[in-house]
Amino acid sequence: MHTFDEGSIQIDGREVAFASPARSRDAGIAVVYQGLSLVESLSVGANLMLGREPRTRFGFLRKRQLMRHVEEFLDAHKIPLDPRVAVGSLPFAYRQMTEICKALIGNVRLLILDEPTSALANDEEVILFDAIRAATARGVGVVYVTHRLNEVFRISDRVTVLRDGADAGSFDTPATDMVELVGAIVGLALPHRIAARASTAAAGASLTLAAASNSRLRGVDLTLQSGEIRGLAGLVGSGRTEILETIFGLRPLVSGGVTPGGAPLNGQSPAEAIEQGVALVPEDRQVQGLVVDHSIERNLTLPRLSLFSVWGWLRYRASVRQAEASMVQLNVKAPNSATRVRNLSGGNQQKVVFAKWHHPRPTVLLLDEPTVGVDVGAREEIYRLIEGAARSGTGVLVVSSDLAELLRLCDRISIVVGGRIVQTLGRGDLDSAEDLHRRVQVAQPANELVT
Amino acid sequence: MSGSTTLRLLQGDRPYMLYAAFAILLVVFSLASPYFLSISNFLNIDRQTTLVSIIAVGMTFVIIARQIDLSVASTLALSGMAAALAMAHVADSWAVGAVAGIATGALVGLLNGVLTMRFAIPSFLVTLGTLTMARGLALVVTDTKPVIITNEAYFAIFGEGRLLGVPAPIAWTLAATVAGALLLHYTVYGRQVYAAGGNPTAARYSGIDTRRVTTVAFVLTGMLAGLAALVLSARSHAARPDVVQGMELDVIASVILGGCSLFGGRGFILGTLLGSLIIGTLNNGLVLLGVSSPLQLVIKGAIIVAAVAFTKR
Repeated sequence: MHTFDEGSIQIDGREVAFASPARSRDAGIAVVYQGLSLVESLSVGANLMLGREPRTRFGFLRKRQLMRHVEEFLDAHKIPLDPRVAVGSLPFAYRQMTEICKALIGNVRLLILDEPTSALANDEEVILFDAIRAATARGVGVVYVTHRLNEVFRISDRVTVLRDGADAGSFDTPATDMVELVGAIVGLALPHRIAARASTAAAGASLTLAAASNSRLRGVDLTLQSGEIRGLAGLVGSGRTEILETIFGLRPLVSGGVTPGGAPLNGQSPAEAIEQGVALVPEDRQVQGLVVDHSIERNLTLPRLSLFSVWGWLRYRASVRQAEASMVQLNVKAPNSATRVRNLSGGNQQKVVFAKWHHPRPTVLLLDEPTVGVDVGAREEIYRLIEGAARSGTGVLVVSSDLAELLRLCDRISIVVGGRIVQTLGRGDLDSAEDLHRRVQVAQPANELVT
Repeated sequence: MSGSTTLRLLQGDRPYMLYAAFAILLVVFSLASPYFLSISNFLNIDRQTTLVSIIAVGMTFVIIARQIDLSVASTLALSGMAAALAMAHVADSWAVGAVAGIATGALVGLLNGVLTMRFAIPSFLVTLGTLTMARGLALVVTDTKPVIITNEAYFAIFGEGRLLGVPAPIAWTLAATVAGALLLHYTVYGRQVYAAGGNPTAARYSGIDTRRVTTVAFVLTGMLAGLAALVLSARSHAARPDVVQGMELDVIASVILGGCSLFGGRGFILGTLLGSLIIGTLNNGLVLLGVSSPLQLVIKGAIIVAAVAFTKR
């Protein structure tokens, strides 16, 4: 996928340089990505043998031979899969197992797994770990990429920490512990204390969640002061994003209440949430935040068209004036408001998403990974925007995987695990990203800590 | 991307390319056939194009919203039958006929919209189904027999009279086009249609009810098919259940030629009108040149494919 400029890669002692994924596959390396590469409508057996099916002389499929072959393979590795079942009907963990088997059934010597548990339910990872042990027992090397440290201790023999694309230390797993590992990840060299921002939180709630529950949330209680910046920390899949989506009306609430400012929301539609002063800067600006083929002006005015209209009639000039004013205030670098969003840099695109909610100020501003894919300069500008919003009385809820960012911005930080807020920390209780990182890891369910 | 000027003309400045295509077509046909440039032939083209132009206005909304409506020709046939039957059996008044025809079109459009958006069935399949259903219904209500219309006011208003000095069919085409252009380019609803087609997810995240917006686009198209039915039946003094079969292709071709992207979010009403005039001129010119009708289909099909290839991102 990426080529390297310096150094060497060796497989079984031989130096190799792969120009394409197909070449590395030939050399016995298999990668299991987060997005699985299975044909859902075909059976497990057909998927495992895809591209290497036994054929008759005339090119017809030897179906019985194929199934027998797959069955023997699954038995030999004690893998509990039925080769006749369609992949699409299997739970996610078993699909993943199929994917791993697909890698194993070829002549694989190295298996690379990238965040394999991110989409699994808690008890399903046992299934995955069994499959991995079956692979290692067969002499296959496994590289397991994860940010869940509990899993490192459960499954690995050795662990290498990567930071900013460089090796930040390797350890034998039995000889290390969580504290040492977190230190290596965050960088012990500079236990830099991130200065706390002067708080602008004021009395009066801008948002209240009371036991909010649905398919992903399990009773979330939260009170956001106006002018407060609150962080939501947690691992991918913990329900951080889902909390924001529920507040914004994108996920129906099953029980509990969401109250921005005055009246509780009931209709559970984004339109209603916007009406009540809730704004969302979503995680993926290209897919969720912007119509990239349309102009800045069109994008900017989209969520609040009623402000630029009389009886449904668009006041085009007012809309353009508003867009140009926002572009100046947020320092969006573009020739004019008719410029297509597609032609802007990532940072400027993100500023356009912020500008959608800039005027008038929302009561509640929900931010999901607000600075992903944004260059350093624009990042500082966005931080200033967020602080400006808080100063003017908006309650801000920030989801971020960048813990230093949360410490930079937030008055309080809540840790989310399994669709629930398990702990809320004042900014004064935390002194470094390392500290916060450790607390997020420690907050994970206890059953994961069992080795 | 090469810096070729022609390529940029083809992809970027679509309106100019459209005007150029129309002009070239006029020149080629007038050189090839002496009769082509006569006034009577132009009126002929306009009359033939009217039905397509009217419905194409609605189709523009549907296609910008990233959907398609294949049922328009059948909807026209069914609406015509409804209008004629209402005048024959309910009350012999042009208003009754008009309301019955347009309401029938609106109902078919509503069905298309609800099935597509509420039940998440691709509009291609939904409208393929309603295409057959509406045509079948039009045929079955009178056991395939046409219904004669005798209301003189109806003929005058929709077919043979003049409105403000303009022949009625052309007046209705202009009215539909102007109304469509105002709605698409000057209202909040128009903005929402573009957003719903340009990126449905982002539209939803901006609080836009994409299901309602898209359903309304289908209803509009149905109503305009109803209006086209009035114009056609007033001209022929009867509603026939088997009219304009296959016309949906001309309508869709007009919209795509006019600069709409089948991938949604792009297009404009003036382009659609021009697109339908190009299709009409093409039909007319090919007939004058004595091109056989099967061959006309081949040429038209090739033009649609070429137009889509250019709008593809």
